[in-house]
Amino acid sequence: METILKLEKITKTYIMGENKAAKKALTEIKKLHRIYENACQKKDAEKVKNIGLKLEKAQSLFAQEKYLESYKISSGKDFITKKAPKGVVVHALNGIDLEIKKGELVAIMGPSGSGKSTLLNMLGILDEPTSGHVYIKGENITDIKLRKLPEVRANELGFVFQSFNLIPTLTALENVILPLKYSKVSKSKRKKMAENALKTVGLSDRMNHTPNELSGGQRQRVAIARSLVNNPAIIFGDELTGELDTKMTKEIMELIVKLNNKGQTFIIVTHNPEVAKLCKRTIIMRDGKIVKK
Amino acid sequence: MFRRKLRTLLTIVGISIGILAMVVMGGIAEKLNLLVDGGTKYYKDKVTVSGEGLGFIGSPMTLSKKSELENIEGVAAVFGETYSTLEKDLSTVNFGPPASITSTQDGSEPYESFVLTLSKGRKLNPDDTKKAVIGSDLVQKLNAKVGSIIKVRDEDFEVVGIYEKTFSTPDTTVSVPFKDGQNIMIEDQPEIIKQSVKSSEIVYDFVVYPKPGVDPNQLADKIKAEVDGVSTIGPKSFQDQVTSSVKIFSSIIYGIGAISLLVGSLSIINTMTMSISERTKEIGVKKAVGAKSSSIMTEYLTEAGIIGLVGGLIGVSLGVLIANSINSILEKTGDRIFLMSPRLLIGSLIFSIILGIVAGIYPAFHATRINIVKALREE
Repeated sequence: METILKLEKITKTYIMGENKAAKKALTEIKKLHRIYENACQKKDAEKVKNIGLKLEKAQSLFAQEKYLESYKISSGKDFITKKAPKGVVVHALNGIDLEIKKGELVAIMGPSGSGKSTLLNMLGILDEPTSGHVYIKGENITDIKLRKLPEVRANELGFVFQSFNLIPTLTALENVILPLKYSKVSKSKRKKMAENALKTVGLSDRMNHTPNELSGGQRQRVAIARSLVNNPAIIFGDELTGELDTKMTKEIMELIVKLNNKGQTFIIVTHNPEVAKLCKRTIIMRDGKIVKK
Repeated sequence: MFRRKLRTLLTIVGISIGILAMVVMGGIAEKLNLLVDGGTKYYKDKVTVSGEGLGFIGSPMTLSKKSELENIEGVAAVFGETYSTLEKDLSTVNFGPPASITSTQDGSEPYESFVLTLSKGRKLNPDDTKKAVIGSDLVQKLNAKVGSIIKVRDEDFEVVGIYEKTFSTPDTTVSVPFKDGQNIMIEDQPEIIKQSVKSSEIVYDFVVYPKPGVDPNQLADKIKAEVDGVSTIGPKSFQDQVTSSVKIFSSIIYGIGAISLLVGSLSIINTMTMSISERTKEIGVKKAVGAKSSSIMTEYLTEAGIIGLVGGLIGVSLGVLIANSINSILEKTGDRIFLMSPRLLIGSLIFSIILGIVAGIYPAFHATRINIVKALREE
């Protein structure tokens, strides 16, 4: 059973780009799921075993399917432009072609104004280009219907920001519950899931504290727990250690590496070479272009 | 909402005052409507003939006119009535008709469709003298019950019955036998009339019942044309005279409603817009973690609706409190100004909630349009 649910989750992740192959795969898994449940009900031990084997096989097949295990962004040959305040048009991204694989821990570095944050915002579909196109997994993000975007954000993506962006009136636990409120997770499960996420970041004893009662490092841990809670495909971090001192930066990065070792994909924009050093891969940007992948 | 306590509180106070004004003014309108309804019911099948005068204030007549009226085609029966105010001098300002003493010639009962029921005691009998049936609002004022003796214009009368509450004119009426009514009425007349008219002849007006199938409005016109020196009130002329004045009053009520709507909604729009601009970052965070526009919209509309609801509840409660206090003070004089009808209270509350939600639409819509990246950059 767990295998099936896990497969469903993985496959759904890749449906955000309306990927036809992934959709087909999900239908297949659901079919197997039904047969498996029927067999369990009828206590048909032989059939249960057979389907179990089939599912294991399916799982390994999924693991081999490269498109399901990566997150691609490309801008083709177009310039992606963003209108800066005062109407100045900035060529923020230029000829981007980037693939992030499942389980990666990627740092994006570069001088200010090089397009790091724009790239991150485009990857995380927090923003849309003023002109030009961004393709994620082959799908033009401007084509992904606006209605669907919140669903994708709630179920597939996680974000950690430089200034934590916790809601000051909510407790740590309530802040972590927030994404679940907007996803399809039932009310009864939300608290348990949020408690688990806070436990993962080592804040079991601070659940009922408001952000004001927590240190900077603890606040960022709460933010990480919030990004983790919906079990996202990717977590995006924008200068997530920017407001922390060296000791806290080290603590937070240790946590990120630990989570990454468990399979969580991270993409982190940073100025800090120490942070980049801990990442498995560093992308360097200059003038809206990727100069080192 | 709860973070900006003072501002939210002030908005709620603003709405409360608006709704309070609506409830209190509406209470007066409701009372007036009921009086008008009572009048409409009373006048619907008869014609009242009084001496020529202004509006309802006619000059007294004598019973000699009765036979003249009875001879008009279409008239089934005619009965004289007397009317005097309960207080000899109307020094106090009254709302609606003042408390009154009325009497009707015997024998009108079979024709009258507007029958008042009694809550206690009995009706007046033709051979009664110095007996009275009183309206429910006068019980407290006159400190009376069935069997007690009350002073009516310094004369002792025995209370034999009490009318059921109608929330209308009969609540402040003392019904007395016709002869007693005439004796009281003559006292109020100027010397010149006192000398020329006998008390057994005087009437305030006549109630004319039409024959079945005769239109009371047409009969009213006919009487006015054929009988000299009288004015008539049929169902239509009652409606015309009363409804027009009630309409003016209702327009004032609706005017106050419109002003409270405007002030209340501007105040909600202001509070919500401020609150949203202060919470731009929070909205950005919510959207980044997956809040749909509809969730954001619902959140803010609910907030605006709650402000409306709380304001409405406070306004309605205060309105009821004020109206009831004034009513209970005035009850001693037999006059009630306000009628807190359920439809007025529920209507005001619903109005307040809708006001909140409608005023919240623009700011809530604005919140859904916030750009996530810009919002997250805000300090």
